[in-house]
Amino acid sequence: MNGAVVRAAGLSKRFGPLAALQPLDLTLAAGETLALLGPNGAGKSTLLRLLAGLARPSGGAVRVGPDGATRPARRAAVGFVAHATFLYAQLTARENLALAAQLYGIAQPDARAAALIEAHELGPVADRTAGELSRGWAQRVSIARALVHEPRLFLLDEPFTGLDPRAAEKLAERLAAQRGGERAAVLVTHELARAVQLATRALVLVRGRALELAPSALATTAALEGAYREAVAALEAAP
Amino acid sequence: MNALLAVLWKDLAIEWRSRDRFVAMLVFSLLVVLVLYFAAPPSLDAALNGYVPGLLWVAYVFAGVLGMNRAFAAELENDALSALALAPVDRGFLFLGKAAASFLILAAVQAFTAVFFALAFSLDFWAVAPRLAAVAALGGLGIACAGTLLSAISVRTRYREVMLPLLLLPLLVPVLLAAVRATTQLLTIGSLPWPPIQMLIVADAVYAIVSFLTFEYVLDE
Repeated sequence: MNGAVVRAAGLSKRFGPLAALQPLDLTLAAGETLALLGPNGAGKSTLLRLLAGLARPSGGAVRVGPDGATRPARRAAVGFVAHATFLYAQLTARENLALAAQLYGIAQPDARAAALIEAHELGPVADRTAGELSRGWAQRVSIARALVHEPRLFLLDEPFTGLDPRAAEKLAERLAAQRGGERAAVLVTHELARAVQLATRALVLVRGRALELAPSALATTAALEGAYREAVAALEAAP
Repeated sequence: MNALLAVLWKDLAIEWRSRDRFVAMLVFSLLVVLVLYFAAPPSLDAALNGYVPGLLWVAYVFAGVLGMNRAFAAELENDALSALALAPVDRGFLFLGKAAASFLILAAVQAFTAVFFALAFSLDFWAVAPRLAAVAALGGLGIACAGTLLSAISVRTRYREVMLPLLLLPLLVPVLLAAVRATTQLLTIGSLPWPPIQMLIVADAVYAIVSFLTFEYVLDE
């Protein structure tokens, strides 16, 4: 597919006897936002780490970015907001952002850090160490950090956790604005209303098995709730 | 190269603010010297000279192992190791940055330990100080290179505090043999023999090259 940011074929992951992710085919085009739904332990975070290139698949392959991309080039295409903030507790928010900019080869890391601090309204905590930040502020810095290099694939694992309503709305606006753009996103969330607001597609995962919902499921929260329940039941009933 | 400098700056900045690794290594190293001082019978002063370099390197190696166990401590907090692994750079340069920071911290510990050691055993290191520093640096480089690689491997294991010494100490045998031999001759004869220095250089080069090339895969989960 032209404009595909992610192409996964037969992607699977096992931890010993446990199949964390059953073989999965997935293509994600630029401008699409995929909502990843499912109960705890379904394999959502595992799938994100496979897409990010942090974990090696047990089977199949995943391609992020252009064909033949080297491993570093593939990593350059990914921005990842995980459960953990990825921040160094002893460095300030500004230093964490500048460090990330430097690692991503940005020419003026301090200027880039300053721009992110302004764009994400991090001024009040910019010069406080990450270890001193509340969960909400640390999450906001973590989101800014993941966007330091303007990634083509944005992976978010429950990014609204800990955010105050204003910060959550700002993040939602940012994610909504990228629809139809050059970036693709995968959003893990338990908030179905957020999925309806932000996603263009929805995939349900249960015990490592995946089922993509029809586009009509994203019309309303009630429609998504019904489709989600049916999908979970179908996946749980599968042998 | 940017990544190397970024990681080096980051590790030194974190160490400067917390000082936990340096202080732990230094205190441990001085305690080892103290234990060795009390364990060595004063009547064996003459025979002791031959053992002195070995005792000094016992303190260096133990301090080095302790320090390498903490090399990725900052990366464990908030899973910053994953952020490092996501950086779109040749991960060999991340290794070089981490190893360089560990080497500098170990070098500072080695310097303080040497002074304390000389005082404890009434030795005069001053005449051979530059050459002793060179041998200590070559040995320290081997500890830092092998230690950084193995620390990265063991950091995600459940028994990492036990795992690292078990993996690292056998690997450091060539470094320890060569460093003790070079230091012994330096302190007893006053000259620096070339064969153990060659061995140290080769061991350091092997550890550095192997670690640089394999770090790409070591950081994968």
